[in-house]
Amino acid sequence: MTFSLLHATDFADRLLYNIIPPLKAGMIVLADRYAYTAFARDATRGVDRQWVRELYSFAVRPDVTLYFRVPIDVSLDRLMARRVKLKFYEAGMDMGWSANPVESFRLFQGKVLDEYDRLVEEFGLNVVSAVGSITEQQRVVRDLVARHIRTTHVVESTETPDEQLV
Amino acid sequence: MSNSSEPVDAVVDSPTNGGIQPGKYYGRSIPYLPINGYPGKLIAVEGTDSVGRTTQIQLLREWLEVKGYGVVETGWTRSPLMQPTIELAKSSNTLNKLTFVLLYATDFADRLEKEIIPALKAGFVVLTDRYIYTALARAGVRGVDRAWLRNLYGFAIAPHLVFYLKVDVDTLIGRVLGSRGMDFWESGMDLKHGDDIYDSFRAYQQKLLREYTSMADEFHFRTLDARRSINKIQDELRRQVQAFLEPSP
Repeated sequence: MTFSLLHATDFADRLLYNIIPPLKAGMIVLADRYAYTAFARDATRGVDRQWVRELYSFAVRPDVTLYFRVPIDVSLDRLMARRVKLKFYEAGMDMGWSANPVESFRLFQGKVLDEYDRLVEEFGLNVVSAVGSITEQQRVVRDLVARHIRTTHVVESTETPDEQLV
Repeated sequence: MSNSSEPVDAVVDSPTNGGIQPGKYYGRSIPYLPINGYPGKLIAVEGTDSVGRTTQIQLLREWLEVKGYGVVETGWTRSPLMQPTIELAKSSNTLNKLTFVLLYATDFADRLEKEIIPALKAGFVVLTDRYIYTALARAGVRGVDRAWLRNLYGFAIAPHLVFYLKVDVDTLIGRVLGSRGMDFWESGMDLKHGDDIYDSFRAYQQKLLREYTSMADEFHFRTLDARRSINKIQDELRRQVQAFLEPSP
């Protein structure tokens, strides 16, 4: 609960100082993670799902939400390639499910991914496969985002390769 | 951002419908902490500033311990995790009413999990100096949505007894001026009623008192007149606590 509320406090502060003012000014705000991260992570830690949703009811609902989905092995490979050690909370070590960080990560993040799958349906998240190359992903992202914003120049629609991925 | 298609079954447990069960969660529980059947008792002492809560709790504690009860005390914003952060945030001018509410709730969650629930499990009498009603009153005055607040604090445990030490605003002003004087937050200066700290204090405390009064029925307060002497109030507290802990057959 404390973990959940601390994050909510941080979120509220950023919402009020960094998100709402630029929105009022008509700007586009890009948020790296949003309330959905809390929904997935807190539920995995055993916090009541509906309680967390109501807790975050002060949040602005995003116009577009992109969910980059990867299988657990891919994310582990990527993390291990860059870093020697997994972070304590990232691996869900606080849950006491396993003393082995990699094993704990697999168990914990596996459950987090299950929670995200619920959210995709509940909140209509746009799933982007994050297995492919950065260029491939970016093409999908641009296409999804372009549908929601009016740009000064005409956006040429591509051959919509995203249909299978979405 | 709750989805309207999701069934909202919290209404059944809502404190507003009188379905409060002492020793149980008010609303949506902490699923990983079942508290049913814990032998301890939770007693809250509420009231605005300078009503003598701390003095009364100290006396009550000594009396209970002499009678052989194990007693644990806890107080608002006293968690080791959050107290420094809350003090820091209060000293700057960046606090919004929402972050204020959430910081308090974080502090409370920490004390609930680390102090209150373990003590109840071990059979202690837990005396709490202020409880969630302080947060509800302060946030209510600042215009935070009441339904949202009640959901937020749904993870709180309903105390077995809630004593509300009630004073009128004039008595309150006299006591505060007679001791340490009026401070920024106690005067609700953040509400910007004006530059005059006396006027602001009066207006703010009056609103707080109104909030407490409106919660009295909702949360089953036992209201005590805090204008009486320390001993008179203590006698009344002891009488009611004894009747609860050791009901005569």
